[in-house]
Amino acid sequence: MDEQILTTLKILIIGESGVGKSSLLLRFVDDNFDPAQALTIGVDFKTKKVTVDDNTVKLAIWDTAGQERFRTLTPSYYRDAQGAVLVYDVTSQQTFTKLETWLDELETYSTKNNIVKMVVGNKIDKENREVSREEGMKFARRHQTLFIESSAKTRDGVQCAFEELVQKVGIYFCL
Amino acid sequence: MQNDVNMYNFFCKLAAFHLKASFKIMCYIHTISLEFQKYEQVYNEQLKKGTVTQKAQFEYAWCLVRSKFSADIRKGIIFLEELYQNGNEEGRRDDLYYLAIGNARIKVGVLMFESVNSVLRFLNFVCSVAILEYSTALHYVRTFLQIEPGNQQVQKLETLIRKKMEKEGLIGMAMAGGVVLAIGGLVGLGLALARK
Repeated sequence: MDEQILTTLKILIIGESGVGKSSLLLRFVDDNFDPAQALTIGVDFKTKKVTVDDNTVKLAIWDTAGQERFRTLTPSYYRDAQGAVLVYDVTSQQTFTKLETWLDELETYSTKNNIVKMVVGNKIDKENREVSREEGMKFARRHQTLFIESSAKTRDGVQCAFEELVQKVGIYFCL
Repeated sequence: MQNDVNMYNFFCKLAAFHLKASFKIMCYIHTISLEFQKYEQVYNEQLKKGTVTQKAQFEYAWCLVRSKFSADIRKGIIFLEELYQNGNEEGRRDDLYYLAIGNARIKVGVLMFESVNSVLRFLNFVCSVAILEYSTALHYVRTFLQIEPGNQQVQKLETLIRKKMEKEGLIGMAMAGGVVLAIGGLVGLGLALARK
């Protein structure tokens, strides 16, 4: 088994409050789900080793607060990030519309210009969907980002989302 | 001759590496201080006008408690205490969290430097200051966890503070022990000499 870590990648998770950023991270890192997930204060941080294409990299994932109070503060964590996960809630049109602002913010404050972006539509286990898969895909295509739909509650798409992102980040930053 | 050239190349590479590294660090410090200045300016402007919004105070305090200087952190803590007392309900958990972070981040080393001039004060410092700041931090963490017992982010902070406390408490005790031993040694030596 080859356990040698090639590099550490900094990944951001951003998006509106309550879309499930921390839940996605908790599912990905600890394979757990907390129905009463608390609001993140400022930024939370978790690391995980992943192996993609026989290469092991360490992910340093920065889970930012989506609350209005931290809106002006969180961009200071964007520095040197190589990948960004933009999350919206498929049962809330408003969180999807706001993605545009989050993308702008990312463009303005990220210091690496080829940062890899992935749009994630979360909470697909819920029934009252407001944003269709096609809409999400169209948005991702227009902004040239990766796209996946997920549910942190049922595990759907979570692993896949991060793996795909790492694969793409690796192409830009490792090779 | 060949050896000299190799050495020369090596030193050139080393110099280039250091230049690059220090440039990176400088850029980093620059962006950090730019951010700091931005929030400081907003706060000062509002202060001049007579009313400081909670938003401005919180953002400035957030910068202050992340500073590497103890004086900044202390200032940030005062602002956060004020916000905690008078601020709105939903922001109080944020205030608590950063109060804990601020108290846990105050560098003990700086204080040590200030009180080097007297052994007594040094001893005093070791026993009180280090413990005091960390226990204040823990107090805030516990207050938070009373309201939200399951909050993982804050639980993590608590473990971190306890670890730091243990580590530095041990160092502090070792230092205090060392000083006591040294004094004891001197006294013993004095007694022995006096007996002779």
